Amino acid sequence: MIRLHNLERSYPLGRGQLFYVLRDIDLDIAEGDFVSIMGPSGAGKSTLLHILGMHDHGWTGEYFFDETAVHHLKAKERATLRNQQIGFVFQQYHLLDDLTVYENLDIPLSYRHYSKSERAALVADALDRFQIVGKKDLYPRQLSGGQQQLVGVARAIIAGPKLLLADEPTGNLHSSQGEEIMELFRRLNEEGMTIVQVTHSEKNASYGKRIVQLRDGWIV
Amino acid sequence: MTADLKYAFRMLVKAPAFASIAILTLALGIGANTAIFSLIHELFLRGLPFKDPSRIMHIYGEAKERDLKQLPFSVPKFWHYRDGQTVFSSVAADWGNGYILTGLGEPVQVLGENVTANYFDLLGIRPILGRNFLPQEEMHDDVALITENFWRKRLSSDPGVLGRSIALNGVVTTIVGVLPNLPISWFGRDTEVFTVKPFENSNATKERMMLGYSFMRCIGRLKPDVTMEQAQSAMPALVQSYRTQHPETADCTWTSVLVSASEDVTGDLRPAFVTLLIAVGAVLLIACSNVANLLLVRFSGRRREIALRMALGADRRDVVRLFLLESTTVSVIAGIIGWCLALWIVALAPKMAGDNVPLENSISLHWPVLVFTLALSLLTGLAMGCYPAWQSSRADLIEGLKESIRAVSGSRGQHRLRRGLVAAQVALSMVLLATAAMLASSFVRLSNQETGFRSDHVWAAGIGLPDGRYPDAASRGRFAQRLVDEVQASPGVETTATVEALPMSGNYSQTPYARADGNPLPVNHRPLGLTRSISPGYFQTLRIPLLAGRDFTERDGTDAPLVVILSNSTAKKLFPGENPLGKQLLFGVDHGNGLMAEVIGVVGDVRSRELAKANDVEFYRPSPQRSFSFFNLVVRTSVNPETAAPMVRAALDKIDKEIPILQPNTLDTIITQSLGQRRLTMGLLGAFAGIALLLAVVGIYGAVAYTVEQRTAEIGVRMALGAQVKDVLRLVVRQGMNPVLIGLGLGLVAIFGTGRFLTAQLYQISPHNPILLALTAAGLAIAALLACLVPARRATSIDPIQALRAE
Repeated sequence: MIRLHNLERSYPLGRGQLFYVLRDIDLDIAEGDFVSIMGPSGAGKSTLLHILGMHDHGWTGEYFFDETAVHHLKAKERATLRNQQIGFVFQQYHLLDDLTVYENLDIPLSYRHYSKSERAALVADALDRFQIVGKKDLYPRQLSGGQQQLVGVARAIIAGPKLLLADEPTGNLHSSQGEEIMELFRRLNEEGMTIVQVTHSEKNASYGKRIVQLRDGWIV
Repeated sequence: MTADLKYAFRMLVKAPAFASIAILTLALGIGANTAIFSLIHELFLRGLPFKDPSRIMHIYGEAKERDLKQLPFSVPKFWHYRDGQTVFSSVAADWGNGYILTGLGEPVQVLGENVTANYFDLLGIRPILGRNFLPQEEMHDDVALITENFWRKRLSSDPGVLGRSIALNGVVTTIVGVLPNLPISWFGRDTEVFTVKPFENSNATKERMMLGYSFMRCIGRLKPDVTMEQAQSAMPALVQSYRTQHPETADCTWTSVLVSASEDVTGDLRPAFVTLLIAVGAVLLIACSNVANLLLVRFSGRRREIALRMALGADRRDVVRLFLLESTTVSVIAGIIGWCLALWIVALAPKMAGDNVPLENSISLHWPVLVFTLALSLLTGLAMGCYPAWQSSRADLIEGLKESIRAVSGSRGQHRLRRGLVAAQVALSMVLLATAAMLASSFVRLSNQETGFRSDHVWAAGIGLPDGRYPDAASRGRFAQRLVDEVQASPGVETTATVEALPMSGNYSQTPYARADGNPLPVNHRPLGLTRSISPGYFQTLRIPLLAGRDFTERDGTDAPLVVILSNSTAKKLFPGENPLGKQLLFGVDHGNGLMAEVIGVVGDVRSRELAKANDVEFYRPSPQRSFSFFNLVVRTSVNPETAAPMVRAALDKIDKEIPILQPNTLDTIITQSLGQRRLTMGLLGAFAGIALLLAVVGIYGAVAYTVEQRTAEIGVRMALGAQVKDVLRLVVRQGMNPVLIGLGLGLVAIFGTGRFLTAQLYQISPHNPILLALTAAGLAIAALLACLVPARRATSIDPIQALRAE
């Protein structure tokens, strides 16, 4: 599903020098895989995740997504591909404060040009599936951290992506809430969703099928 | 307090961008208000420099049934009122006159007045040298009062001026006093000499004068215990007794109306200045709301500082005081800059207004204006600082101390207030811009209004003939004919003629008229018609088309049968469906029934009094048959019309070297000057509307830019969730434009609600003109959209990764 070849990401340091965040990354991720990216701070985990998520465009090398050569796509084409195929879960949830749970779930669909009735059906499905129907009119600040992240995951998959990217999804949760989220990820993976998560936690990594270790920008 | 003030200054210096935007914004608002207030102070509040001017009444004649208003007094009526009234402590009269001054170098024409002996005593004006006229001098002595300007400029401040003789219209006249310079709003510009023979007028015979020839301004000073209303209620008795005793006079049927002197000189200007005052008020409100918005943002961003101050023992009042000091510091500095701005605007005003608005050439900003500006600055500072200071002082101490360096966006209430302020700015700007657009459109329409004559390449000047050397119509006619012939023969001159009063100059005369057939009304019930004495060639010089009959010729002289030419509208009105040629009309008051004149021609209609108003009746009479000692020469040239001046001077030198040229000008300039007040109103309002638009756009930009900055993380999240450039643009623009659209709607409602107040100042355009309103709204919306697009474009360049990390 994903193939990275000789991918590199660097930042200029001045005087023509470069600081490499990722070096010579070769990585294959099959459909239905559940990959945990681990490594110390500054290893390049989040950068790799944002490149996979097509947020970051300043890299070199090759990136194939389902045989599509992402490295040849223009920014707009990458955005379209991302919107069709990828969902995101953030450590800090990033729910929009002034929108209700329902409206937060509706947001990704509105950017994908679903009709109003389709959006309503999909949001209703997600509320039901994640058992948060009773909270649909609440604002994020009225939810616990676990509940907010639950909404964050629901929002990430509501548009039916093939790939779910998660950046420290339990980083802001206490252990029991974290376990619930990881169980949810496991179930989603079992249902066929490809998941790539960045985590510091060995325990969370154990929910995945394999681990990719990064150190100083290199896969080790 | 001092420490807080120092801190306020320091905080402003630390934030130069905020300080300069806030100060400049407010300075524009305060400056505009100070300028208009100083003009209003000059015109309306300062009052005439007379003793107790509110007690001085101008007595007008009025005949409502004939639509005649603000009519002057005749000599018999003045005498009757002076002697018969009981409500005034004294009654006086004056009328404007031109004098040829000789014996002081080149002969020059000076403007002056013939006044009754008690005139200046009634006004309470004391001479700076010498004395006022004495009662026994009235109608007897050749004495004069001159103004300080005359004394300094023409007599080089001669200390022996009293008793010195000058020649006025060839009459040796003794100077008995020097008056201080007089207000142009009452006396007109450049009035320099006063004589005391008010009941002599070379333009009318004694018989005509006694039959009600009206030419004098009559004023009275109320007795100390009499109110204006009581004086007004005493008028009908005077009218009645005058009618009874002088039934033969043309003015015996007129009623009398009192107008206070101050209202008399400013009445016409009030609507325009009310409009301007509202406009500058709106500009100040917009400026205040802009700065209030900035202060909200600035104070909200200092929650940490507030929390710290509270932790150290400050209470809420201390915090509010600190912020109010900061906002008033801004407004007082802005007031100082605004004052300078006002000085500049005020200096321009007389130039823009021309002779149309009675503004002195150099208006100074007096202390009431200074007090106004200072009070306005302080009030502005308090008004715009109050809410932000109060809101910001509600900081939660613990949360505030915990808060990261990143500024907070403020409460929902503050958001709503900011949007409300933007909507209010847009609404006010909409009203101002629409008003300015309508006034500009009116002005353009007026400027392009067909006058009925061609003013290009026409030069004009006044000529006054002294009665001593030119005592009768025949001598004046010979002079005029020779002058026309001499000028006509000059190179570059196409045609030349004389006319009693130039069109659009503000001077005109009216005569009672009636059809001679049937049963003509008595003279004093006849309507008045605009009447102009002209020489042959006048129509050709001004390119007024002759539609029927013939022009005047040299044969239409003093002894020839009386003739008249009608304007087309007059012909249609007086002789509907008939051929007017050969018909007879009665003119004037002579012999108690007027003089009969035959209609010999019909010419095209001309707008000769005001561009905005067509004359329904206008007569032309040949100069010899209706002769005046003062007339105007009009010269059409094939070259630059200014070149006519030396040619006319040369021609005059051949005929009579002592006759000066008075007020030379081109006809184009005279017409342009006639629009002076409209130009002033339009120019000032246009400038204020421009300022309002600029401030509104800055306000909208500021509000949207601030929102984008506060929502950087949110926009980053949205982009991470799939929002594309157009989605972000739409999001930001929609939020920015929402209050703009609300403001436009409110503005339109306000225009529909208040437009009728503007109607009097508009010409051929409705205050609800849909095209202008739509264009104004569209223009404002586009400006607002651009103001939104700049920060919106910036929002689209937000890097979602950076935004998410920052969060």
